[in-house]
Amino acid sequence: MAQNEALSDAAVSIDRALTKLREGFMERFRAAGTEQALREEYAKVLGKKGELTAILKELGKTPASERKAIGERVNALKQEVERGFEQCLSDLRKKERLAELEAPPFDLTLPGRLPVSDGGHRHPISRVREDVVSVFRQLGFAVFDGPEVDHEENNFGLLGYPPDHPATDMQDTFWTDKKVLLRSHTSNIQIRAMKSVKPPMAFIAPGTVYRRDDDATHSPMFHQIEAFLVDRNVTLAHLKGVLAEFAERIYGPGTPVRLRPSYFPFVEPGAEVDVGCVFCKKPDGTRPGCSLCKHTGWIEILGCGMIHPVVLENCGIDPEEWSGFALGMGLERIALLRYGIPNIKLLFENDPRFLAQF
Amino acid sequence: MKASYRWLKELLPALNASAAEVAARFTHAGLEVEGTTEYGAGTESCLVVRVTGVRQHPTKSGLRLVTVDRGGGQTQEVVCGAPNVPDPGGLVVLAPLGTHLPAKNLTIAPRNIGGVTSEGMLCSESELGLSDDHGGIIVLPMGTAEPGTPLSQAVPNVRDTIFEIGLTPNRPDGLGHVGLARELAALLDIPFALPATGEIAKTADIETKSLCSIIVEDAERCPHYGAAGAVDVTIGPSPLWLKYRLQALGVRSISNVVDITNIVMLEYGHPMHAFDLDLLRPANAPRILVRRAKEGETIVTLDGVTRTLVADDLLICDGEGPVALAGVMGGESSEIRSTTKRVLFECAWFDPRGVRRTARRHAMHTESSHRFERGVDPGDVARVLDRAVALTTTLAGGAATRGRVHVQGTRVAAEPEPPARKKVRFRGRRVHDLTGVDVPFAESAAILKRLGCEIVTPDASKDEHEVLVPTHRPDIGREADLVEEVIRVHGMDSVPAELPRIRASRDVGGREELARRAKEICASVGLSEAITFSFTSGRVLEVLGAPPPAVRLENPMAEHQSVLRTTLLVGLLDAVKNARRHGERDVREYTVGPVFLAPKDPNDPLPDERLRVAFAIAGDRPAWLEKPKPFDVWDAKGYATEIARRISGRPVEVVQASRQEAPPHLHPRGAAFVHVGGERVGAFGPLHPDVVDALELDGEVLVFEMELDPFVGGAATPKFTPIPRFPASTRDIALVVKDSVRAGDVEAAVREAAGPLAEAVRLFDRFVGGQVPPGHTSLAFRVVYRSPERTLTDAEVDAAHANVVAVAQSKFGATLRA
Repeated sequence: MAQNEALSDAAVSIDRALTKLREGFMERFRAAGTEQALREEYAKVLGKKGELTAILKELGKTPASERKAIGERVNALKQEVERGFEQCLSDLRKKERLAELEAPPFDLTLPGRLPVSDGGHRHPISRVREDVVSVFRQLGFAVFDGPEVDHEENNFGLLGYPPDHPATDMQDTFWTDKKVLLRSHTSNIQIRAMKSVKPPMAFIAPGTVYRRDDDATHSPMFHQIEAFLVDRNVTLAHLKGVLAEFAERIYGPGTPVRLRPSYFPFVEPGAEVDVGCVFCKKPDGTRPGCSLCKHTGWIEILGCGMIHPVVLENCGIDPEEWSGFALGMGLERIALLRYGIPNIKLLFENDPRFLAQF
Repeated sequence: MKASYRWLKELLPALNASAAEVAARFTHAGLEVEGTTEYGAGTESCLVVRVTGVRQHPTKSGLRLVTVDRGGGQTQEVVCGAPNVPDPGGLVVLAPLGTHLPAKNLTIAPRNIGGVTSEGMLCSESELGLSDDHGGIIVLPMGTAEPGTPLSQAVPNVRDTIFEIGLTPNRPDGLGHVGLARELAALLDIPFALPATGEIAKTADIETKSLCSIIVEDAERCPHYGAAGAVDVTIGPSPLWLKYRLQALGVRSISNVVDITNIVMLEYGHPMHAFDLDLLRPANAPRILVRRAKEGETIVTLDGVTRTLVADDLLICDGEGPVALAGVMGGESSEIRSTTKRVLFECAWFDPRGVRRTARRHAMHTESSHRFERGVDPGDVARVLDRAVALTTTLAGGAATRGRVHVQGTRVAAEPEPPARKKVRFRGRRVHDLTGVDVPFAESAAILKRLGCEIVTPDASKDEHEVLVPTHRPDIGREADLVEEVIRVHGMDSVPAELPRIRASRDVGGREELARRAKEICASVGLSEAITFSFTSGRVLEVLGAPPPAVRLENPMAEHQSVLRTTLLVGLLDAVKNARRHGERDVREYTVGPVFLAPKDPNDPLPDERLRVAFAIAGDRPAWLEKPKPFDVWDAKGYATEIARRISGRPVEVVQASRQEAPPHLHPRGAAFVHVGGERVGAFGPLHPDVVDALELDGEVLVFEMELDPFVGGAATPKFTPIPRFPASTRDIALVVKDSVRAGDVEAAVREAAGPLAEAVRLFDRFVGGQVPPGHTSLAFRVVYRSPERTLTDAEVDAAHANVVAVAQSKFGATLRA
């Protein structure tokens, strides 16, 4: 539409109102010192009873031939106002944030406050961990610390895992960019201990381990406790004796233990250990079976065996003179069973409503 | 590994243990039976019947009425909707009234279908649980059985008990039924003999070696390549016994020759391959070449996928190119098809490590690679080939070619050089030494013999023996392995439980005890223990201004778990975020664990793992019968100093951080360091609002993180100070000072001014508003005066206290609050 063409009165009036608004709104927005004030100013322009809203209503009075062009101008201004508002809001917030950060410091020489409380809670895994550590400590085992990021040889090689062997499939491992790994079991401590301490030795190694597994029963990070004894004349019978003691103290008096042959590269003979199911145990000591023990009356709790002579040799210990046993268990499984927790994920979400139950 | 009870019984005529007993025995010997399924349950009541008439259903267009002969002159009419009802004379399977079919959880009862009552059902394989084929009813070959014969009698293999055995990777011998039968015989002490490979029905007057030339370029990766041949074969369906045996074991039946390679693999545990000889090139003089792939070379494997190879992959090639990925999968170009007439069977021994690398590299886990990776028996190549050829001549009408070809390095012959057996020293007493169980040598020797070992005793007066280990047991290489075999078969239940006399060790490192103490202390002040992931992302660490990750994972499970944390706060803040997402505003959690920092020596690939404790508190502070109020920085100070004090056993100093040195994740108004013995050990404060926004924490969070390693030796031992014998006098003083004056500075001044008689000064009230002028704060202190030697007089105390007022006024412009 040509500018010089005569406009209707309504159009001229709208045009004048638009110009006035355009010249004035930013100043009003900028003057608002708080978000609240800014929003109020904004409402005065674009709210239900706002000035621009009122102009929009006038649009109907203009002749149809002019309406489109004026409509476009009204819309353009509307967008301009919205942009201006967002800009001012953001500036205001920045200013507020800056003011907040630059406010005088809190007086931290005032005494600290220790709120009254109903007491904190220990994580179920920690509870199990300390119970198990305590049992082994009472039997004479001490704790050997070690790192969670370790060399491949401590985690696999010296434990007798052949390279490119399917045994490593049992543990899908995280590797770092420096060609070391997140330990996939606490057995790396066996190697570290046997390389650095002369036998006899009786150690446990509780700790965090990592495997590339993530489902209802597996977490990529979980916890194990390893126990190992190296001395003269250590036999499988001693291992069973320690396991029986462990089962008595952790699962209750009279809990039976059985060994089933199995395979772990670093033990020979190797076995898996079942304890009598604690869930379907009847007062007379029988175990009719339940869903938790898959109706067998037994629950698998750990793997163990006599330390493989190759492993002893790898650590400079003569297998003709010394023998030893090792056992390793997952703590999550014990915790899930003990507390009736249905999903391993709950253990690592740290929901306050979960933690408060223990 | 799926194992057939029926097949084991065929291999062990002396076996009279039930399936349940076999499962228990296997499990007890380390071959864990993880599940048992009944294949073809319900087939016992099904009958083979002959179709005698077929007519259209009177009202339903898709259905037909089939009259069948049940034998003994009985006929009956059943409604059938299958598309493949045979013409009269054809044999089908009838489930009579009352039959229960567990596969469909269905019991056959009279049914009215469109006005016709049907008292029975003609069955498909899927209805009988024989396969998932539900495309039509089972049509049995003519002559399978007389009408009226129970199906399970006509085709015994439709009924079986299948064990799902969770084999450990050291037992490749268990991946075939012959190996399982040998194991079971040893466990139950019943006789075992290798099965016969079977009669060759017909031999052609052609030498196998004239069929095809075989060249092994890489004898290290393929120490033994064996081949045999058959000509004039007719490819067709397998007989029912073979079809259902394979299907019972989860293998689809394809054609007689392909099925033969599969059944032989399931029998011996040794994978084999069949080539269509007429598709091997060049056509006039076919060749087999075993060589390493060229970098970038391609092969289309049987599954139709084009694989790009690397130089470490081993190939079977013909005269023109690859025909199989050795030990993993055959190629498309030379596979057996319906027109195949001449077959070349391959049975080889490939290096397990090489097969494993190739299988993993191409993400192909096949029945074949699974077995080769674990180490198949290098001693059964000839037997496996003979078995395949014999079956081919009986099942595919072919004629065997004369002789086998065995290529072992440079040696090429019709009979293989038997592989060397490992020789292992064995002393009978070592069983007792390692297990505590007295197993007489004679029993040990008997067990080892049953497992296939040969025992040589050079000097009968000595307990020193040589055991020759059979080639099907690659896992046995040392005396301890033999001891395991003995105790495994003898029974681990016989191991007595004896408590060892342990010579106690001493803790090495001391972090477990340190962590335990820290956890107990944090819980005792009212925080709950979180166990947080060590994984996080580089971005989160950057947002927190924590040190950049020292450990990056090469194979993380997700981007947000791709590095190891350099601050414990990441996991705690995750917990806050999750709690708030669930509408839980109040969080008071701590965690104890390592952070993974850059090693001191940059060449050390292991990070510096440092034990720390951290907490995050957010939401309302716990209080007794009060309107809830949000946590503030003095709560963080209270928790932080109490935790640090109890862990260290020493006085704790809080040093407010200047704006410049405030840790980037903390709010500059309230960031503070915690010092013990002059050393900075931790920091606390409100989280920086930008961090709150970036991590979407939805509100203020106060955090603390502290090093634990300096306290690994335990808390300092408290030293006794004598309990005062004389009474104390107390004076309270309320001072009004400007807001900018720090309470601690006033307290220090009061302490100094009160002189040596002041035993303690404690701020007990802080008040703003009321009559206190704006911009001012009232601070009320209680000063305790006492002498260790005598009771103080009021005059003495008043004099000391007067000085306090004077100093406060002059130093801080303080006024006494009325």
